[in-house]
Amino acid sequence: MSETSDDRRMAEQVRNMVQRAVQRSVKGLQFLTAGPAPVGLTPKDVVLSRGTLRLYHYRPLADEVYRVPLLMVMATTNKSFVFDLAPGQSMVEFLLKSGFDVYAIDWEPPTADERNLDLATYTQDFIPSCVDCVLERSGEPDLSIVGYCMGGVLSLIYAATHTDGPLKNLACLTTPVNWHGMELTRKWSDERYFDVDSFVDTVGIVPADFIAQGFEMLRPAQKTAGRIRVWEQMWNDEFVKSYRAFERWGNETLPLAGEYFRQTTRELLWRNGLMTGSLSVGGIPVDLSRITVPVLHAIAEHDHICPYEASKPLLERVGSTDKEEIVLKGGHVSLIAGPNAVKRMWPRLAAWLAERSV
Amino acid sequence: MAEQRRFDAIELFREVLTQWEREFDALANRFMGTDEFSNVMNQVQRLQLELQRRFNQHVAEQLANFNVPSREDVIRLGETLRDVESRLGRIERLLKDMAEPAVAGSNPARPAGPPRTRQPPSRTRSANQNPAKESAP
Repeated sequence: MSETSDDRRMAEQVRNMVQRAVQRSVKGLQFLTAGPAPVGLTPKDVVLSRGTLRLYHYRPLADEVYRVPLLMVMATTNKSFVFDLAPGQSMVEFLLKSGFDVYAIDWEPPTADERNLDLATYTQDFIPSCVDCVLERSGEPDLSIVGYCMGGVLSLIYAATHTDGPLKNLACLTTPVNWHGMELTRKWSDERYFDVDSFVDTVGIVPADFIAQGFEMLRPAQKTAGRIRVWEQMWNDEFVKSYRAFERWGNETLPLAGEYFRQTTRELLWRNGLMTGSLSVGGIPVDLSRITVPVLHAIAEHDHICPYEASKPLLERVGSTDKEEIVLKGGHVSLIAGPNAVKRMWPRLAAWLAERSV
Repeated sequence: MAEQRRFDAIELFREVLTQWEREFDALANRFMGTDEFSNVMNQVQRLQLELQRRFNQHVAEQLANFNVPSREDVIRLGETLRDVESRLGRIERLLKDMAEPAVAGSNPARPAGPPRTRQPPSRTRSANQNPAKESAP
């Protein structure tokens, strides 16, 4: 009797394997010939556009929204559609349905004439301009900011240099504060070997390939393993859809303004300016202890880009009394996008913001 | 119990792949985390930059010979245009502000949207649990 059921199971397994092999061939062809994955589909308006800067206002998906508008700040190395990968896999859509009025800062590749943009441009001009625009459009006196990775660093610098400003809540997602905690990145840009001045003076704009290569070198097997996984899962439409969206996001890494790259390397990576307090932007010292608004920091347990040692000191450094750190399973990207983020991070973020957005 | 732990070739393949990825990354990171690697990597990069710089210089000289603007000239032109554009933007905003006297309660920059009266679930729950307390003056 048990032999018969074993046989049946075995036959079932073989049938599955054959079916999947056939689907792999058919869908693999579709995969290879398909254009770029459709991303960033949640309806939005571009409400501010200046050089590399874009500010989106997403159209509401709830009948009643929280009083305080929400501004998301994307990292300067990547496109903001990671916040809005696909319907059902979109953090923006989740927040809109949870009743938030959502704005997002996105970056276009800086052009050669923007090579002199620096940290001051981003934190004393771009973010304040977006903040003004959000306040004007919402008619509210304050707002919440959510910054991801380097977007979190820019948000922190903005918050520390605009302490009398309209910021009500600040949420940072995998944001490095102790840059000496990013050991590999630091090693590769060791000032004994890496001449940042010569590099920036020659290239002007740091090429996207250079940035993407840096990320890839942190996990050199990831791309190959990812391709093998997608081949194996080719029969699984949801997996392939998600893979294509993430792949597109990775492929569309942005170049960086040379001056901004130089300053980030010198002031943050070499001098660890956010930890030592030596950083100043546009002549204004950046002292994180001056931040007193409620702060949330979401950290990924297996983050290889911004490891825990790099992000951990954020809460110790800020002067806020209402502050919280959440460490969630996942990596640097899966913290904010993908099936795990839907279950883990988004509900926590929405709940934290909701309590503070009335 | 033994029956439940059946052989699954696909599952085994996934485990092997994950294990390979983890070990390869760890090994590569150990190798790439050395001073020697950083030194060699940056030397190669310096060489590439030097070649690029010489090539740029050569192209710029040739363009000058043909009396054609170089990339640097075009970038400078772009910078000037951007500066003019931002000044124009400021003037435009100023003129708009002067031309549209503030009318109480109307703001063309403010789109109509849903009411901003939403309450967090915790407050809605407590209000539902104790309606008498909520309605008390």
